Amino acid sequence: MNDSARLPWPIKLGSALALIVLLLPVVIVVLAGLNAGDYLTFPPQGLSLRWVIAFLQSETFFGAYLFSLGLAAITMAISTAIGTMASIYLTRSPSAGAKVMRGLFLSPIVLPGIVLGLALYVFYVSTDIGLARTFGGLLIGHVLVTCPFVIATVSASLVGFDLSLEEAARSLGAGPLQAFRLVTLKIISPAVGAGSIFAFIISFGQFDLSLYLGTTNLTGLPYAMYISLRYKFEPTAAAAGIFAIVLVIVSMVLSSRLINLRKLVARA
Amino acid sequence: MDMAATATVEQTARASWRSAYGSPRSRLWLLVVPMTLFFIVFFVFPVLSLFAVSLDKPVAGVVAAKGDFVLNNYVRFFHQPLYYDSIFRTVWISVACSAIAALLGYPLAYLIAKTEHPGRNTFLMILVLASMQLDGVIRLYGMMVLLGDNGLINGTLLRWHAIDEPLPLMYNIFGVIAGDVQITLPFMVLSLIGVIQRINPSLEEAARSLGASRWATFRYVILPLSMPGILAGMLLVFALASSSYSVAALMGGWKVWVLPVHIYQQVSNGGHWQFGAAIAVILFAVNITAIFVYQAVAARTAGGRV
Repeated sequence: MNDSARLPWPIKLGSALALIVLLLPVVIVVLAGLNAGDYLTFPPQGLSLRWVIAFLQSETFFGAYLFSLGLAAITMAISTAIGTMASIYLTRSPSAGAKVMRGLFLSPIVLPGIVLGLALYVFYVSTDIGLARTFGGLLIGHVLVTCPFVIATVSASLVGFDLSLEEAARSLGAGPLQAFRLVTLKIISPAVGAGSIFAFIISFGQFDLSLYLGTTNLTGLPYAMYISLRYKFEPTAAAAGIFAIVLVIVSMVLSSRLINLRKLVARA
Repeated sequence: MDMAATATVEQTARASWRSAYGSPRSRLWLLVVPMTLFFIVFFVFPVLSLFAVSLDKPVAGVVAAKGDFVLNNYVRFFHQPLYYDSIFRTVWISVACSAIAALLGYPLAYLIAKTEHPGRNTFLMILVLASMQLDGVIRLYGMMVLLGDNGLINGTLLRWHAIDEPLPLMYNIFGVIAGDVQITLPFMVLSLIGVIQRINPSLEEAARSLGASRWATFRYVILPLSMPGILAGMLLVFALASSSYSVAALMGGWKVWVLPVHIYQQVSNGGHWQFGAAIAVILFAVNITAIFVYQAVAARTAGGRV
């Protein structure tokens, strides 16, 4: 079947334009990171790995990259655990309260990151619970902004889940936990995997929260790049960007093998 | 887990659940407890404390909420054009951005929704999702290299002598809108795909077989049925664009004073936490207002159909 032949030309032209807007800045970052010269010109002056090597030796950028990776890994573990548990309740409970909770848990997507960061910082200082400008305080912010993505992904796979499968396991003598582990968890595990990848990537690219929750020792890659961009366009930052781009593409390819990406957007 | 404790919790839970639903799925609610506690403590309380701080008397350098309940900060905001003008600036930039994102995003969403080949569909979805999930600051780096005074566009045009001085593409409102569109476009595309997919293809075929042109079919069948997705996408884009600090700071170069820039300026450069918190609450209120406008428009366009 040839899909593209059926589509009218304005759609194709518009799609091409949209893809250019989406991808051109990413291509530019890759070119800037691999460029031989001190700054990017068109056409480029040639390829070189000098900025990639400079990135790997740079304490600021490479350190920030590793910090972001570690923070994202811990965030992912927490968000996936509590997000998956909550999704099971939210999709199975018939109560109106579950709908309200779902709305609450998804709301960090639209709450401005700068507002959430400020709110958390004010809360930490007001209550004096010792989380202001600490790793724990930053981690809490990251868990808040990544949970919605785990919930959206995992509950998409749970809607339409046939409960009788679990009941069949129960009637064959499995305990409730055993039935859950052997049947339900196995069926939803690809979605849990994809949700955790999303949580990882969202955390990795989180910038606005760091404005108030981070410090000089708690600097992730986005913040390090932001500081650098305010003053100059260091090609080292672009080289750091290449590593982030590769990470995102690998994660998306992995999650496309785990779940049907189409299903994610199918229920808005 | 401690067996005895589990058993007690289970009995209590079962009793209460039974009374409500008469069902033995007793411990189901336990699953949502960690998330609920986490959100109450670290989301609801902090947002409330931000409200409380915005109602405190302004004292430079003091962060903690005191509970004065005065309106000084809000009065100050609405008495100075420097501040209240930024509401209109923020709103019009965000409305422009959501309109452009809808125009740009619709064709791509339509293409993806109609692409049935699984490999090609997945490939396009990966492109959109990856560009959504890639750190915004990295994408802004690309935008800045493209649009700057010595950037790719201006640099190339200058070398070809097509222009005598650089076009003002960045560090102004144009740059902020361009940056916002780039950052928010994937969200628009994703919220459209699902809606376009759900439009029954036989409606389109019926219109065509009754003699409607391709354009008329689109204008009177497809577009009205896509409206819920377009509006939801525009709301999402509005919320993201109005609250993005990084786009306004980097693409606007501190020359475009939108609400997030004011917040950052007040808090980080002046230590005016109370006033900064008040602006944050105002930004929040702008987004809540946008939700109400969206619901009114959505109810109107649905026009009785759901």
